[in-house]
Amino acid sequence: MKEATLRQILVVTDGCSNAGISPVAAATLAREQGITVNVIGVIEKGDMGEQGEKEIREIANAGGGLYDIVYPQQLAQTVQMLTRKAMTRTIHHVVNKELKEILGDSAIDVLSPEKRVQVAGMVDELGERSRLDVVMLVDTSGSMKSKLSAVQQAIHDFSISLRSRSGQSRMAVCSFPGKQKHLDVRIPWTDQVEQAHQLTSGLTMSGITPTGPAIVEAIALFEHVQLPASLSERFRNEQEEDDGSLRDHVF
Amino acid sequence: MSSNKPTIPDLPLQFCGKWNQKSYRVLRELGRGANGAVYLAAQGGVRRAVKVGAEGMDLLMEVNVLKSVQQGRDARVAPLVSDVDDLVINGKTFTFYAMEYLEGEQLDRYVKRMGTDWVPILMIQLLARLEILHRHGWVFGDLKPENVMVTHADKQVRLIDFGGVTKMGNAVRQFTEEYDRAAWQAGDRRADIAYDLFSLAVMAVRLSADPEMWKSRRQEPRQTSLLCDIIRNSDSLYPYRVSLVKALHGKYASAGEMRSEMLAIVRERTIGHRGKQASDSAGKLVGGLFVASLLLLAGTLYYAWMM
Repeated sequence: MKEATLRQILVVTDGCSNAGISPVAAATLAREQGITVNVIGVIEKGDMGEQGEKEIREIANAGGGLYDIVYPQQLAQTVQMLTRKAMTRTIHHVVNKELKEILGDSAIDVLSPEKRVQVAGMVDELGERSRLDVVMLVDTSGSMKSKLSAVQQAIHDFSISLRSRSGQSRMAVCSFPGKQKHLDVRIPWTDQVEQAHQLTSGLTMSGITPTGPAIVEAIALFEHVQLPASLSERFRNEQEEDDGSLRDHVF
Repeated sequence: MSSNKPTIPDLPLQFCGKWNQKSYRVLRELGRGANGAVYLAAQGGVRRAVKVGAEGMDLLMEVNVLKSVQQGRDARVAPLVSDVDDLVINGKTFTFYAMEYLEGEQLDRYVKRMGTDWVPILMIQLLARLEILHRHGWVFGDLKPENVMVTHADKQVRLIDFGGVTKMGNAVRQFTEEYDRAAWQAGDRRADIAYDLFSLAVMAVRLSADPEMWKSRRQEPRQTSLLCDIIRNSDSLYPYRVSLVKALHGKYASAGEMRSEMLAIVRERTIGHRGKQASDSAGKLVGGLFVASLLLLAGTLYYAWMM
């Protein structure tokens, strides 16, 4: 098995999208291109609302990822946990696929739990060593304002988690809605985030939450994806990374 | 709160493992964590703790760790795993594992009931457990009072939730911010010995500190200077300040090193307190020996006389 790159988009939001393409469709598109979509709903008190929770769940399901709904102070921990679990899941799927090729259709079901314990050890080790690219997609529409300091904290904290891995990791942070487009790149691909970075500076506060379009644009940040010329011009030049060769996105 | 939790299945009252055919009768739920739910169950007349989770892989990773720790002959670090198997609930297959059931009390509740005098002693015990774990190449990771138990029967400290256990050098799998080195801005999240010792020191502070004070100071930014401040101002922590501060700054190379330093302080303090009593009992001992030798003499004389 070659070294893999795991790709994730992590959406941090507090409510329903209300503009552009459905975020569930956008997540399906991301998954189609080997990108997992995780979603964290941030609430201040009480509930997310049935509609908001449903959307979050559906985005994660369509994106092959996981979701959780938490208070701002739980955010940092949740980001790390969801990311790790989603990685495990992705690798598990790939390992499962390989096993299916060797063992036939029933694959993992024919392995006794004792054998699967060994597979689990291997999945864990692969998760630790593989490359990881994560785009954090932060909803900065009006109602998120009071939660942004917690988000900022979580971003810094996540960068520590990534740094602690054995495999190479990178993250980028985007906010949506953007000034002109659906999304603004706040922190381009990096393996280290300075705490001083201000997410709150120069934000456009609006009532528009274009979660779907933002996910579509975030896909463009992963350079393994073939893009239409317009998007590729917009995003490619923001990366100082130059290893132009496409990384294999499956094992 | 977390919406992932409903996906952790509820165990049926009675079930049988698919592979090993062991049947279980569920008695009650013991608790729910990030990775799964733990139930108390009876299997073949023995009480077991049964853990079931939403993600089979996560659970199997835990079993992998538990088994590797048990390969050595060092019992008492982790609960012994007695069964790993699948069960079907509503047509869906879930993985579960059964382990020995430890009857005891969560560390913080125990200390609350018994007093903070116990904290150094429990920490010393815990350090012995950690040292064994470390020797096998694992770091516990998510060290917190909720994951430590004091057994009823023999007052032994046992680690109970192995979901955070991480191979040394890898990124810590699971943590709780309150005890996490990175959240306190004192380092990263790479699993090393110092990571566990840091959590242990925070735990010692939290268990000894006045709960109200701990709660109110939680609003302050997390920095080790806050912890050092609490240690300086606490009567029960002050004697252990050198060890605790060293642990907070990653100055120990092993759990054993910290353990022997703390042990030395406990001994010194006990001797210091009991100095007078010790000489009293020495007096009694001498007296006792005198009586014994008289009896012996009498016995010898009697024996000689009989001859």
